[in-house]
Amino acid sequence: MSTEETPAPRSLAEALRARDDASLAALLRTRPDLITPVPTDLTQLATRAGTRASVVRALERLDRFTLQTAQALAVAPDPAAYDDLLALLAGDAADPAVTAALPRALTVLREQALVWGGTDRLRLVRTARELLAPSPQHPSPTGLGPTVAEATAGMSPGRVQEIVAAAGLTSTHDAVSAVASLTALFTDRKRMAALLGSASPDSVDVLRRLVWGPPYGQVTADPAAHLRWLLDRGLLLPTAPGTVVLPREVALHLREGLAHRTTEPLPPGIEHAATHRPQVVDNAAAGQAYTALATVEELLKDWDEGGPAVLRAGGLSVRDLKRTAVALDVSEPVAAFWVELAYAAGLLASDGEADERYAATPAYDEWLEWPSAQRWARLAEAWLTATRTPGVIGGRDAKDRTLSALGPGLDRSAAPEVRHRVLALLAALPEGSSPTVESVLARLHWERPTRGPQQDREGDEDLRTRLARWTLAEAESLGVTGRGALSSQGRALLGAPAAPVKAAEPTGPGDKLPVHHRDHPHPHAHPHAHALEPLSASEQAVASATAARLLTPLLPEPLDHVLLQADLTAVAPGPLKRPLADMLGVLADVESKGGATVYRFTPGSVRRALDAGRSASDLHDFLTAHSRTPVPQPLAYLIDDVARRHGHLRIGAASAYVRCDDDAVLSEILADKRSANLRLRRLAPTVLAAQADPATLLDGLRAMGFAPAAESAEGDVLITRAHAHRTPPRTAPDPVPDGPPAPDTTLLSAAIRAIRAGDLAATTPRKPTDTPAATGDLPRTGPAETLATMQAAVMTGEAVWIGYVNAEGAASQRVIAPIRVEGGFVTAYDHTADEVRTYPLHRVTGVAELVEDQP
Amino acid sequence: MCTYVNGPLIVQSDKTLLLEVDHEQAGECRRAIAPFAELERAPEHIHTYRVTPLGLWNARAAGHDAEQVVDALVQYSRYPVPHALLVDIAETMDRYGRLTLSKHPTHGLVLTTTDRPVLEEILRSKRIVPLVGARLDPDTVAVHPSERGQIKQVLLKLGWPAEDLAGYVDGEAHAIELAEDGWALRPYQQQAVENFWHGGSGVVVLPCGAGKTLVGAGSMAQAKATTLILVTNTVSARQWKHELVKRTSLTEEEIGEYSGTRKEIRPVTIATYQVLTTRRKGVYPHLELFDSRDWGLIIYDEVHLLPAPVFKFTADLQARRRLGLTATLVREDGRESDVFSLIGPKRFDAPWKEIEAQGYIAPADCVEVRVNLTESERLAYATAETEEKYRFCATTATKRKVTEAIVRRFAGQQILVIGQYIDQLDELGEHLDAPVIKGETPNSQREKLFDAFRQGEISVLVVSKVANFSIDLPEATVAIQVSGTFGSRQEEAQRLGRVLRPKADGHKAHFYSVVARDTLDQDFAAHRQRFLAEQGYAYRIMDADELLAEGAEGTEG
Repeated sequence: MSTEETPAPRSLAEALRARDDASLAALLRTRPDLITPVPTDLTQLATRAGTRASVVRALERLDRFTLQTAQALAVAPDPAAYDDLLALLAGDAADPAVTAALPRALTVLREQALVWGGTDRLRLVRTARELLAPSPQHPSPTGLGPTVAEATAGMSPGRVQEIVAAAGLTSTHDAVSAVASLTALFTDRKRMAALLGSASPDSVDVLRRLVWGPPYGQVTADPAAHLRWLLDRGLLLPTAPGTVVLPREVALHLREGLAHRTTEPLPPGIEHAATHRPQVVDNAAAGQAYTALATVEELLKDWDEGGPAVLRAGGLSVRDLKRTAVALDVSEPVAAFWVELAYAAGLLASDGEADERYAATPAYDEWLEWPSAQRWARLAEAWLTATRTPGVIGGRDAKDRTLSALGPGLDRSAAPEVRHRVLALLAALPEGSSPTVESVLARLHWERPTRGPQQDREGDEDLRTRLARWTLAEAESLGVTGRGALSSQGRALLGAPAAPVKAAEPTGPGDKLPVHHRDHPHPHAHPHAHALEPLSASEQAVASATAARLLTPLLPEPLDHVLLQADLTAVAPGPLKRPLADMLGVLADVESKGGATVYRFTPGSVRRALDAGRSASDLHDFLTAHSRTPVPQPLAYLIDDVARRHGHLRIGAASAYVRCDDDAVLSEILADKRSANLRLRRLAPTVLAAQADPATLLDGLRAMGFAPAAESAEGDVLITRAHAHRTPPRTAPDPVPDGPPAPDTTLLSAAIRAIRAGDLAATTPRKPTDTPAATGDLPRTGPAETLATMQAAVMTGEAVWIGYVNAEGAASQRVIAPIRVEGGFVTAYDHTADEVRTYPLHRVTGVAELVEDQP
Repeated sequence: MCTYVNGPLIVQSDKTLLLEVDHEQAGECRRAIAPFAELERAPEHIHTYRVTPLGLWNARAAGHDAEQVVDALVQYSRYPVPHALLVDIAETMDRYGRLTLSKHPTHGLVLTTTDRPVLEEILRSKRIVPLVGARLDPDTVAVHPSERGQIKQVLLKLGWPAEDLAGYVDGEAHAIELAEDGWALRPYQQQAVENFWHGGSGVVVLPCGAGKTLVGAGSMAQAKATTLILVTNTVSARQWKHELVKRTSLTEEEIGEYSGTRKEIRPVTIATYQVLTTRRKGVYPHLELFDSRDWGLIIYDEVHLLPAPVFKFTADLQARRRLGLTATLVREDGRESDVFSLIGPKRFDAPWKEIEAQGYIAPADCVEVRVNLTESERLAYATAETEEKYRFCATTATKRKVTEAIVRRFAGQQILVIGQYIDQLDELGEHLDAPVIKGETPNSQREKLFDAFRQGEISVLVVSKVANFSIDLPEATVAIQVSGTFGSRQEEAQRLGRVLRPKADGHKAHFYSVVARDTLDQDFAAHRQRFLAEQGYAYRIMDADELLAEGAEGTEG
């Protein structure tokens, strides 16, 4: 602690003024909200640093011990001496860990401008104090109540003197000194112990129950003897009728000086679940990285010819997600992860057409051409920095709408930071060791404790914890980690230095499952590994490239051959080179995926290849070229057999035909130049197909001097004669009358009733009011008067005349007989509408009584 | 720096394991994964194994733990094994043994748990409730002894397999020895008997002609107790009897036949499935055979044919040792898992090609001959009723010509012509001048004809599906299949099995399947061949014209 600040600062602004640029920069880095917009001077900066929103934000970002320090300062006297603060945190037992950790916590608080002042005069920023100090509305996390002075503030001097006397102190002449001497007694451990020593066990029990908070208790008007004993001595002080509070000094005495039940000066260590050989970790991660690439490719291949439709509200429908999950052979949340990953990496997007669908982007085609490791780095980088969190898919947003994959509302701004932090924690572990999930979560929770009581409720974890869980799972499926431990390529991706030295040798030659190793919780070696900061875009690019370079040798080399078997399968014992994989994908059906791919040849798949323009000999050559084994006879036969029948039937479109038993005539037609525009083609000796329609064909042939006859679909000769032209079936037009339609009786009676009622409302003689309204205007009265008049009308059962504005904003006048007025609504018989209706009072612009002699 | 070991195994994400046969470590790897993975396909280069929960639990029951399984995969895998799969294996194996069935001094059979929530969970299942009795303490519940098989089956389906520690009854002792005079059990038969005996109960899968009867005899010699043998038909029963008398110390008098004609119950009784499932007035009068003696061993021959009533009754026989024998554990009704849960897990399985390589079954040349329908036949086929279509194309007249050509070609060898449709067979019999054995042929006549065939007095025999199973015709070298039971895979394998008995002169067997091109017959044939193709039998496909042309030249003898 630096104590040589020349004159003690009198305000935060002065304290800030005294700080050097570096320390101000540190402040602004941790609290960037202070420079938007840039403050004009330090006074303004200090003011802004003291605003509630900014302080809340700063407090939320403190680690648990620093927050506890701030909380302790809030219950300490203002200003507080360093030693007082230490006593509150370390307790009477003077926990050495706390003593060691406190200077760091205080430095952080000072740096963040939450605490200022010299070591003997530590001051918590006023707003922070207000936020953290206990009050009946906001019980402090410390569970402490108000001080004696605060609790006795409203008490009569006589009562104070009675308490002082009962506590065995000499009475003083004024209340202030009496309270001071009572406080002195309560803070004196020895005298206090003596006082409590004389208490009955029941009384002590009451104190014990209140000691860790909440400090408030209920008493009856006539308390029992043991409570009375406590009340008499000021060990419990009344705050409101029937409520008592345990004064802060008493509680601290009982807590042996501690402000918190458990002070956590050190971050919880990360427990090792298992240690694997680093090579095993890297290989497992590489295997998973390969799977990730294969999955993304498979997903986009599945969506190649038009992906699923975009929901009107954006996103993927639950059905489409389900279908995708089945296609990828994974669970739906996992499918959602892959879809979101491809989206985050810019490989898929909505096409923006009228009927919007999802499809691969041009960037995907580019991505496909890259080397595998680089493709992985692109995915991993996109994942690391994305704010979209697939984990929340399937949940509901604040408006109770389902969150759909690729839909809106998936961004969680904390996600990249949590991802980075979790991986940084893994990076701090020795190479090859995987942590237990719970210890990682506990550590994160320490670093950023969530406020509010809901943090520990089961099944309702806070967002950061859930983000951390997702991070661990996603890192594994993406191959950033392998067997739960950070891989070297993952480490490179973070821009982390090489791994720390190995802590323990792996236990065996073989790789072990985590279930067998719950032992050796490793004492955390790096309690404050904050050094690993998120990288800037350019640094990230370098890191990704390094990661890709590390990954390259670990990924299986693409093969250029398969093994063909007589059961009509082909096995690719590893990833295939792209052209080979594409061709096989057409020629055979994929039966099993993984490290290898099993293909099955079926007549259908062979036909597909033939349809794609390959000939049987192409296929034979292809298989011979790429098979390491001779092509089995049944497979060769299958291809020939399918090829034999392929294209046996030919199909085309023609709009008309010419049929003639004499093929010489047809040859003559074809030879005639004039027939060129009819686009005739000879299908068989006696048949010509034409692209021209039958009428044109008839005319054309007639023009050439032939006498063709038209034929019906059944082959009969059509008798052509001039026939009348007809439209398709049409309905006769509806008459369009000049005026409105003649009203029917129901409509008429309703209209008349409305007119009469309106008339009544407009013409009813009204009692003159103070502010006479112009004729036809809505009555205007104040809300209170409206209410009173309505209530009076309910009592007397009279009808009143109101002005009313409906939900569309249209004003009307109505005559109503109120029946009931409650909850801001008036229920009344509406003479205008001839039924009982309910009107919100706030829509009634005014009310006027009707003249006595009217109905 | 290539960092992975170039192992022979590739672990797929769908839990299949691909084993490269030609790899130098293949044998080692096969032994390592055999305890927990099922051999699914065994074509020439890459064998496919599948890891199933059942397989993993059987491995647990046989004393392997998750770590060994994972080690085996990691050690031999060419690529990194997906972590999810390893975790899944550990979790699946962890489910075994939470529940145990054991004997209780006062309550008979009890189900105990080491994990109370599991017991709570299964007791909530509607299918468990009728099978259990009183709750004896929080971790134990009584089980009706007769429901032992049933509860095991249901627990398996619920995913919490019970470890059965209740043991077996020894049964009535009866001295049985193998009479190994001049012959001995083959190594794989010995292995099968041992595996079965150590496992208690289970199924042994061996190719046709590989000597399953001897595995049965070997097991009986181990049990040395009264034995009930269930077989498919009377002819097969006689063959069992004949073989047992020849190979063991048993005499004719000790072996009884329990069939439609004879009802003998002796220390070793051979019964047919047919008589057991004969139903009179809604009851199965012959099922009491199971209780007529204190059997120490029950052998189910051709267990893939086990009829439903026997299934049900077998569930009540869990305290007796059970041995299932089969060549083809594929059922088109998908009840393979029932066989495993009621008889017991697969204890021994040998790929056909491996036995062939050892010379115990004859190598076979499988040929599919495609015949063209004539134009008028094609028209008739196109207009035939759906249910008549298969029959129509399977019995096309062209097949007769091809069959005759093949018979001519192998003149002098022992030839079986096998078919489904009696009319077709009768016609073939007429043209080939060969006797026809069909359902209506009396047993005595059948045996006489089979005998004559074995002696070489008849060289061509036309048989219907009655000869599908268990007919021992060692000298048959050529089988011609003209039609079949739709797409039945096991029928195809069994028919091939007819010619696989090793030949005295060691020459090849020939199996011809005559199929009508571009019809249902061809589709069914493709399905039927699947089992054999997966066992590594490569079918050659020939056009009938090609074959007829060759025949005309008169090559090959």
